[in-house]
Amino acid sequence: MTSISLDVPKIKNRRPANSIINALPWIGPALLLIVLVVVWPAIELIRISLTKITSAGTLEGFNGLGNYRLLFENPDLKAIAIRTVIWVLSVVSLTILISLPLAQLINQNFPGRKFVRWAMIVPWAASVVMTSIIWKWMLDLTSGEFNLTLQQLGLQNGQPVDWLRDPRYSFFVLVWIAVFVSIPFTTFVILAGLQSIPHDIVEAAQVDGASSWQVYRGIKFPLLRNSLLIATIINLINVFNSFPIIWALTRGGPGYDTDTMITFAYKMAFVEYNMGPSTALGVVNFAFIMLIVLIYLRVTKATRVQV
Amino acid sequence: MKKIGLRRLSAIAAVSLSATVLSVMPAQAETTIKVLTPNYTDAMPAYYADLNKRFEAANPGIKVEHTNLSWDDILVKGRTLVATDSTPDILNLNTFSDYAAAGLLYKADDLFDAKTLSDFVPAFIDNSKYDGVAYAVPDLASARMFFYNKKILYTSGVNKVPTTWDEVTAAAKKIKAKYPNVYPIALPLGSEEAQAEFAIWTGGNKGRYFNNKKKKWVINSKANVETMNYLTSLVKAGLTQPNPASTNRTDAFKLFSQGKVGMINASVFFPSTLKDYKSKVDYGVAPFPHSAKGKSITLGVQDYFMAFKKPGNEAAVKAWLNFLFQPTNYAGFLKAAGGFIPATKSASSAVDSSLLPFIEQLPNAIFYPGDLAAWPKVSGSIQTQIGNGVNKDPKSVLNKIQKVAVAAGTK
Repeated sequence: MTSISLDVPKIKNRRPANSIINALPWIGPALLLIVLVVVWPAIELIRISLTKITSAGTLEGFNGLGNYRLLFENPDLKAIAIRTVIWVLSVVSLTILISLPLAQLINQNFPGRKFVRWAMIVPWAASVVMTSIIWKWMLDLTSGEFNLTLQQLGLQNGQPVDWLRDPRYSFFVLVWIAVFVSIPFTTFVILAGLQSIPHDIVEAAQVDGASSWQVYRGIKFPLLRNSLLIATIINLINVFNSFPIIWALTRGGPGYDTDTMITFAYKMAFVEYNMGPSTALGVVNFAFIMLIVLIYLRVTKATRVQV
Repeated sequence: MKKIGLRRLSAIAAVSLSATVLSVMPAQAETTIKVLTPNYTDAMPAYYADLNKRFEAANPGIKVEHTNLSWDDILVKGRTLVATDSTPDILNLNTFSDYAAAGLLYKADDLFDAKTLSDFVPAFIDNSKYDGVAYAVPDLASARMFFYNKKILYTSGVNKVPTTWDEVTAAAKKIKAKYPNVYPIALPLGSEEAQAEFAIWTGGNKGRYFNNKKKKWVINSKANVETMNYLTSLVKAGLTQPNPASTNRTDAFKLFSQGKVGMINASVFFPSTLKDYKSKVDYGVAPFPHSAKGKSITLGVQDYFMAFKKPGNEAAVKAWLNFLFQPTNYAGFLKAAGGFIPATKSASSAVDSSLLPFIEQLPNAIFYPGDLAAWPKVSGSIQTQIGNGVNKDPKSVLNKIQKVAVAAGTK
């Protein structure tokens, strides 16, 4: 890190003024891809959100902020927005809390470590839809493995729990599954951070008689700051955008009781055929993601200067 | 999600653009039509492959590009086709009215001659009209009836199949007393088919979604609130499966097939579903129970074939649709679709005897207001929200949907 940030200005100074034009053949294809795949759809999205759109999908001219007005007049939006915040915060914080000790564990040398690391990647490598469907089967009311086991243990006195349909439980189940699929990535980011900690600092502390807890609190944890920041921000984006878990397990129901802003946008467009406000919500969601990305850029820049 | 959606849309747009360029280039005389259909069963793709092969042989110069989709996919795709300029030439779907309202469809008169048109069951063609003009034709229909598990009912001391709401409650109580682990009545108000489940119950209490005479939405009518209160009383008494608002029809069908449900409202194709599930349940079929002030109804539901106006495709879509509705081809369609009610009079005379009780119910059929352009939107809101009527305040849930419906209009 240090060497790169020191070198950048030097290289820049040596470059001729038309360096960007010279670089175009190399970065051109990538730029074109970004424009086609990211910029153009974003512009289209904003344009359509300002257009009147019928449920048949025909566009009927400029509509000003009409779609946004309809969206913000929706009586259910507030509860869904609050739930989205709870969803993101609880999934991200639980994920980090569980991943910290896990990363510590798989950083140790023990027989079978390779297997444990491999097994930890599986939920990450598997398609989220597949994972969700397997959980759906496990949590089924009458034939799910979960309820059957609880029953055999005598813990359910004849009243199986309807994990996914009972609004008292379903949101927590969704949070847990989202945590479950976020842990591998987070753990490996933290593991990478742990492995980049110079060995001599740790050894020096140990020679000075620091306990392992003191080493962790005083040296390892502060040096994990960068990895934790990156893990947190990437998880924020992932969890906010998370669609398949909720859709595969509850479809955001009953009513909108387990919807987030993402599933709500989809539900409005493709279940309720309410295209206008859905495009407006698409823009709101996009703006939210952009905000997190900006914070991310700010934070990574800040840490780079500091280190 | 929106972002990904648009990315995908642009990909689809790019692919379809190059596809049209490619298909236009080789031979000017050739017309290609795109046909998009849902899989009623897994037998549909094979049926269409054979049909299209014979069609192309009989109609040189017309090529058919056929896409088979699951119902889940086609319901989503149906909303993006027009906006992404990937409109098919022929579409088979459960709604048509908003396309008709947007002026995208051929009139049925332009597609079929009078003789063929007069063969469609009049009630079904009436439901295919927007603003008094038929813009689609029915492909098949379903009716629904009350199914019961004979063994559960009879061994619980219920000697007569319930015909009124009071009798349903009484029978459910007896079942619950005898079989504590059976759900006496299934009430699937989850988003999959909530609009149908509620229409059936409230139909027997003279409740409707739309008042055809006064041309206005009546979703929060007194009759509908009464129905919701009755359903809530069943739920509160523990006579239904838990959490009706998140139970989909498929979930309820599965419970019934496992012998865990006493009574259920189901469709004409339910017997073949039970066969697919390898269910051993011995079931009976009866008309729907009704309230003291109402009478028994059935819910008629139909799907549609429609053709989109595109320059130069009229002759080709006409040829394809008429080919499909030739008696032998249409019989094959019905067979592949599995257990539905035919949409033509000529095919109705040759149906399987198991369909007869359903066809007998058709004179009492109520239909969705599928001829209104607003219906797809209103139906969507009913599907996602009406189930919460049994969890929350019935009146305010119905008021909320009524508001959506009024805003969607009555055209």
